[in-house]
Amino acid sequence: MPRQTWRMWALALAGAALTAGAAACGGSAAPAHSGPVTVTFWTWVPHLGKEVALFEKTHPGIKVNVVDPGQGAVAYQKLQTAIKAGKGAPDAAQIEYQMLPTFEVTHGLVNLAKYGAGKLRSAFVPSAWDQVVSQGGIWGIPQDTGPMGVLYRKDIFQRYKLSVPTTWAQFAADAAKLHRANPGITMTDLAPNDPGQLNGLFWQAGSRPFRMQGGTSIAVSVNDPGATRAAAYWQKLDQQGQISTDPDFTPQWYSSMAKGRYATWITAAWGPLFLSGAAKSSAGEWRAAPLPQWTAGQDVSADWGGSTTAVTTQSKHPQQAAEFAMWLNSNPQAVRMLAAPPLFLFPSLKSALGTASFHNSAPSFYGGQHVNALFSQIAQTVPAGFEWSPFQAYVYSQYTSTIGKAMTGKGSWVGALAAAQQSITGYAKSQGLTVTGG
Amino acid sequence: MNILTMTRQAATARSRAPLRRDGGRSHPRRAARRAKAAPYLFLAPFLCVFAAFIVAPLGYALYLSLLRTELIGGQVFVGIANYTQAIRDSAFYAGLGRVALFFVIQVPAMLVLAIVFALILDSGTLRLRRLFRLGFFVPYAVPSVVGALIWGYLYGRQFGPIDQLTSALGLHQPDLLSSGIMLPSLANVVTWEYTGYNMIIIFAALQAVPAELRDAAAVDGAGPVRFALRVKVPLVRPAIVLTTIFSIIGSLQLFTEPQIMFSIAPSVIGNNYTPNLYAYNLSFTNQQYEYSAAISFLLGAVIFAGSYLFMWRVNRRARSAS
Amino acid sequence: MSALTASGSQQPEAALRRRRPATRRGAGPGPARAGAHVLMIACLLYFLVPLAWLFLSATKTNSQLFSSFGLWFGHGFHLGSNITALFRYQGGIFWRWLVNTFIYSAVSAVAGSLLSAAGGYAFARYRFRGRSLLFGVVLGTIMVPSTVLVIPTYLLFSKAGLTDTPFAVILPTLVNPFGLYLMRVYAEQSVPAELLDSARMDGAGEFRIFRRIAFRLMTPGFVTVLLFAFVATWNNYFLPLVMLSTPSYYPVTVGLANMNAQASAGGGAQLLVTVVIAGALIAIVPLIVAFLFLQRYWRGGLAVGSLR
Repeated sequence: MPRQTWRMWALALAGAALTAGAAACGGSAAPAHSGPVTVTFWTWVPHLGKEVALFEKTHPGIKVNVVDPGQGAVAYQKLQTAIKAGKGAPDAAQIEYQMLPTFEVTHGLVNLAKYGAGKLRSAFVPSAWDQVVSQGGIWGIPQDTGPMGVLYRKDIFQRYKLSVPTTWAQFAADAAKLHRANPGITMTDLAPNDPGQLNGLFWQAGSRPFRMQGGTSIAVSVNDPGATRAAAYWQKLDQQGQISTDPDFTPQWYSSMAKGRYATWITAAWGPLFLSGAAKSSAGEWRAAPLPQWTAGQDVSADWGGSTTAVTTQSKHPQQAAEFAMWLNSNPQAVRMLAAPPLFLFPSLKSALGTASFHNSAPSFYGGQHVNALFSQIAQTVPAGFEWSPFQAYVYSQYTSTIGKAMTGKGSWVGALAAAQQSITGYAKSQGLTVTGG
Repeated sequence: MNILTMTRQAATARSRAPLRRDGGRSHPRRAARRAKAAPYLFLAPFLCVFAAFIVAPLGYALYLSLLRTELIGGQVFVGIANYTQAIRDSAFYAGLGRVALFFVIQVPAMLVLAIVFALILDSGTLRLRRLFRLGFFVPYAVPSVVGALIWGYLYGRQFGPIDQLTSALGLHQPDLLSSGIMLPSLANVVTWEYTGYNMIIIFAALQAVPAELRDAAAVDGAGPVRFALRVKVPLVRPAIVLTTIFSIIGSLQLFTEPQIMFSIAPSVIGNNYTPNLYAYNLSFTNQQYEYSAAISFLLGAVIFAGSYLFMWRVNRRARSAS
Repeated sequence: MSALTASGSQQPEAALRRRRPATRRGAGPGPARAGAHVLMIACLLYFLVPLAWLFLSATKTNSQLFSSFGLWFGHGFHLGSNITALFRYQGGIFWRWLVNTFIYSAVSAVAGSLLSAAGGYAFARYRFRGRSLLFGVVLGTIMVPSTVLVIPTYLLFSKAGLTDTPFAVILPTLVNPFGLYLMRVYAEQSVPAELLDSARMDGAGEFRIFRRIAFRLMTPGFVTVLLFAFVATWNNYFLPLVMLSTPSYYPVTVGLANMNAQASAGGGAQLLVTVVIAGALIAIVPLIVAFLFLQRYWRGGLAVGSLR
């Protein structure tokens, strides 16, 4: 009896080890033999099968292995750790604009100018291209962008006799009027957990918080006049209870969106389609408009979100990876597929923005309004020259813990911005950078 | 002689008789040598993985904590600079204060509940004991990721059942995820997850108390509640000490629950709600692995000190009682 | 030799049962009994309602989840369609996560508990140099915060090329200091030294004694340690989150968390919340079933472990 039990354990162990081994072998892509080269691509954009198949058909020497490492921050943490460890990074990776300098400064990315990316410059919207270029290199190929606009509830605007605001002053007047008429509905929701939204609003107000100088020196002015102006404006609305400060993309937020507790959503070009899926019950009530302006008659927007495809320095096949990155985001057929269902990425390629089919889609969710055409126009009004810091994850976490806190606590946004300036300057110094005043 | 009787004899003889290793009839010396090597052989596999996956990473972390990586200039040796920075770091203390408060409030509440449940289950007054035992224990089977997710929904306004019920009664539910209430809300999640687990440990200990011991104590004719508090609880003190130690470690290391709550209450949780969360964010968001290692070592020291202080008090009281 | 042939594996459990007191049914006055029942039923509801919510929500559509009463069914019963959607998600990857979780948990629980059993036995039944120091060191590491270990382990593993492989999740979980502690206490109480001595006098080798006598006596405690290790790995989130980047290696916790993030993000333009909830429901079913069938071990081994 005892001997048998023992043998059973041994068998169980061996079996388990075998299955584990099988899992180890079965899961990963077959390593490339001398034949085609395999390029591993980290992206959290789902459903890329068709695009990859087309690429492999037209590029017989290259296979693409698409891996989803998780969304946003999770993917960056993995990539950063892999780069720090010197091993484990993919050949190509999806990186949002704001994170490019972070990976560039740690020498994690390949300068794509080497592989002829320079010739694509004029094919992309200037504000997008501007964000992939720095320190004389091209560090990613723009994939999609998020020029900002406003989605608003037409029914709420009509019921409370609000006019669609073209200036922020008018927006504030609307907010006050709405609050008087029905305190249960707020003019909009600013998300304390989403620094990208806040950053976009600062950007539109003229803020340019960072400027790298020669690779070792940086000018930090998080609380420059533009950002301070916007912060003071929103602080006032917040303290009067005229806006909500619920975290976005949470159950609470979805529920409020669908039930019409916010009259507007200040969002970006990827927003309209997302909302039509997330708030189905409110179909037909929504319309889109450009961002209100600080100065009447101006036409200034900003970017919130959007990604690039970059090639890592750990890649053994940088040329093939670069070829894929360029093809995926500039081949007309590929970009058309990315912009179509089920992905609906808002392209940064000029030619794709100009196609009739893209412009003419008139979803009933927006009462037949040509939202894509509107956002294509807005894309041209995003001012170039906005720089991201090489430690943007830290900057965003500071935004959340300082301004985010002020937002929910109805405290001083302007004071929080000054606190953020102080901690970010301290962090930059601790990273060995020379910090010059803003 | 069967094993049962041997087991009982052994239990009484154990304390008096040290292991006899001199006894081989055939090859006494060789047997002794084998016996000498045996413990090391039995321990070798465990110690190998222990060295590889605990000692080595710890050593590496200790080494890292003496360095600092700068974006510009790379890794430099800074000695104890990370530690001197850490002991002046208010963000670290804020988190530490929170878990200390959590420990002072949640742990006693949970353990008292667990003891009461275990005593009621053990008293025999209850019908369907098995149902209660299992029902209380089941949350332990729920991964803390899922547990925190569920409670996040339950706490929600409008769609959360708690809000739905309170507003049906004409009451207004306070925001359970606001900064003032977050700590109790988290305490509730942890209590939900682990009360049953602690209850089972104490209940098992109660069940294992020899009947003669209890019967001897029962003759003085105390009521069931007095009997439970005066006789049973002292008998299972070791089990209570064990659960307390685990709760000290667990609460000071609080991580998953606040991390999941971050997505629905970001500005309340922030990046330093608990020391473990702070260390995590220092590593992965700020890329300050070395500073993070220093923070983690300080946290480890606090846990160590807390546990030993507790054990010391327990032992002292036990000595003075006897 | 009778000791060697006697079947001993159930004995400590039997001894335990024998020592259990005759329950004092009807003890205590009536109102106290009623009070105890009310208290326990209320608490039972507290523990079970969140799980009921999980089940009810898994039967709803996304829009119903946010518009219907949380603790009752919505219109129609959509559990089937949610589960279908779950198993269709990314070509049925959820199956893979379940299988992975099972393999990781089984391997690390079986192998880790065997290591703990052998080590605990050594500490319990031998005196050797450095014994108490070594035991103290091993036990002390229970207090090491998980973050302090996972990050350096990741860096070391990536140097060895082990990250993003199943080994990265399994190997670190083989070390179970608490398991070693439990096994030591259990061995001290269930493996009589005299029995080992008489076996030695019969000429049995040390390894044979462990295998054929000691381990059999320690089996109930071993199963307890095994179950705890299994649950710990099954529920582990932090380690696989850091170690793995290929979704086909994910365990179910990381897969679900990832899916949840995707459910609430812009990319797919579709909401998967109730599908994620159905996934959470399915993920906890195997453990609950295991609890139901292996109940006695939760108490058997623990009782001994905590009596010290």
